[in-house]
Amino acid sequence: MQFINNTFFGIFVSVAVYLIGLYLFNRFNNFFLFQPLFVGMILGIFVLWILEQTMGVSSTVIYDAFWHGGKDNFIGANLLFWFLGPATISFAVPLYKRNDIVKDYWVEILLSLIVGLFISLVIIYLMCRALNLSDSEIASLLPQSATTAIALPLSTSIGGIPAITAMTVILNSVIVLAIGDQLVKWLKLDTDPIGIGLGLGTSGHTIGSAKAVKLGSIEGAMASIAVIVVGIVTNIVVPLFARLIGLK
Amino acid sequence: MNKTEKERIVEEEQKDASPVIIQLGIFAAVLFVSNILSVIMPKAFPVPVPVWGLIILYVLLTTHVVKLHQVEKLSGFLIGIIGVFFVPSGIQMYKSLDLIKEDGITLIIAIIASTIILLITVTFTARLFISISKKIRNRRA
Repeated sequence: MQFINNTFFGIFVSVAVYLIGLYLFNRFNNFFLFQPLFVGMILGIFVLWILEQTMGVSSTVIYDAFWHGGKDNFIGANLLFWFLGPATISFAVPLYKRNDIVKDYWVEILLSLIVGLFISLVIIYLMCRALNLSDSEIASLLPQSATTAIALPLSTSIGGIPAITAMTVILNSVIVLAIGDQLVKWLKLDTDPIGIGLGLGTSGHTIGSAKAVKLGSIEGAMASIAVIVVGIVTNIVVPLFARLIGLK
Repeated sequence: MNKTEKERIVEEEQKDASPVIIQLGIFAAVLFVSNILSVIMPKAFPVPVPVWGLIILYVLLTTHVVKLHQVEKLSGFLIGIIGVFFVPSGIQMYKSLDLIKEDGITLIIAIIASTIILLITVTFTARLFISISKKIRNRRA
């Protein structure tokens, strides 16, 4: 038990599983299912699960050790998590570099995000009904286009389950990172870099934006602007939509 | 953006990057102010600290208060390894394993599908709007 109550346990596990993922990704010619983040996540969950089974302690004890180094410490994997903040503000740079696109197309960008988001909500709602999900599950899925800090309180306010929303927002990023750009190519939607950027930023949040930055400067800038605008628009549109369909 | 603005960015990119400590200082200052703004926002309308930070740094860059070479290197570095920062969030789902057990595979399918719906719908809508506006602009020109 002692050895996991250690500030560096969570950090080490996170970095190690990511590096294994990176190795596999390079080894298997960038096969999309071997995205380092995806592999790292699965391996990490597996490591914690094995520890839970072999040490015979509750999952909460293991999780606390991973997240903040056990009961006597404050820092663990949450140190790495903290860096998502500074990393997110970094997207101001790719955005600024394509200020020309922002200046030329800001009306179209705003309209696309608002209209696109609304249509998505309608389709997601219909799909959830078709899959027979409960009202609280639907309410948990609707705020997913916003980042966690916006989506969780929003989910609570329309009667959703925050834990499901949190999981959804995380999975968004992983899924978009794994298949986002391939999907856009398969559907032949890859003719417009502005569209790709806005799509990746809306669905994949900051991780989707990091992917967009790799695709090109316009994609990166548009994903960054999507992260800002969609968070705010979601905050306004989702409660209205929830009322419209009669959730709480 | 006029031509001088574009030239300015190119010129900035060729300048030597500021020392890491200055870049860190700018980031720390932006995050500090963002935190204050985030706290004073009404609860019903939360704007998270990183989103405030993104807006503030963008405004500072656009108004040339902060120069590109003062933040470019650190931001490139952080964006480059953002995947690692996200790993703990992913592993966090260990906590939600019971959730998945209860609601089963349907919920996962719904999540995967809704991610794809968001991606496709927004990409498609934007592509449509941009192409329409390009046509209108061409006709005017």
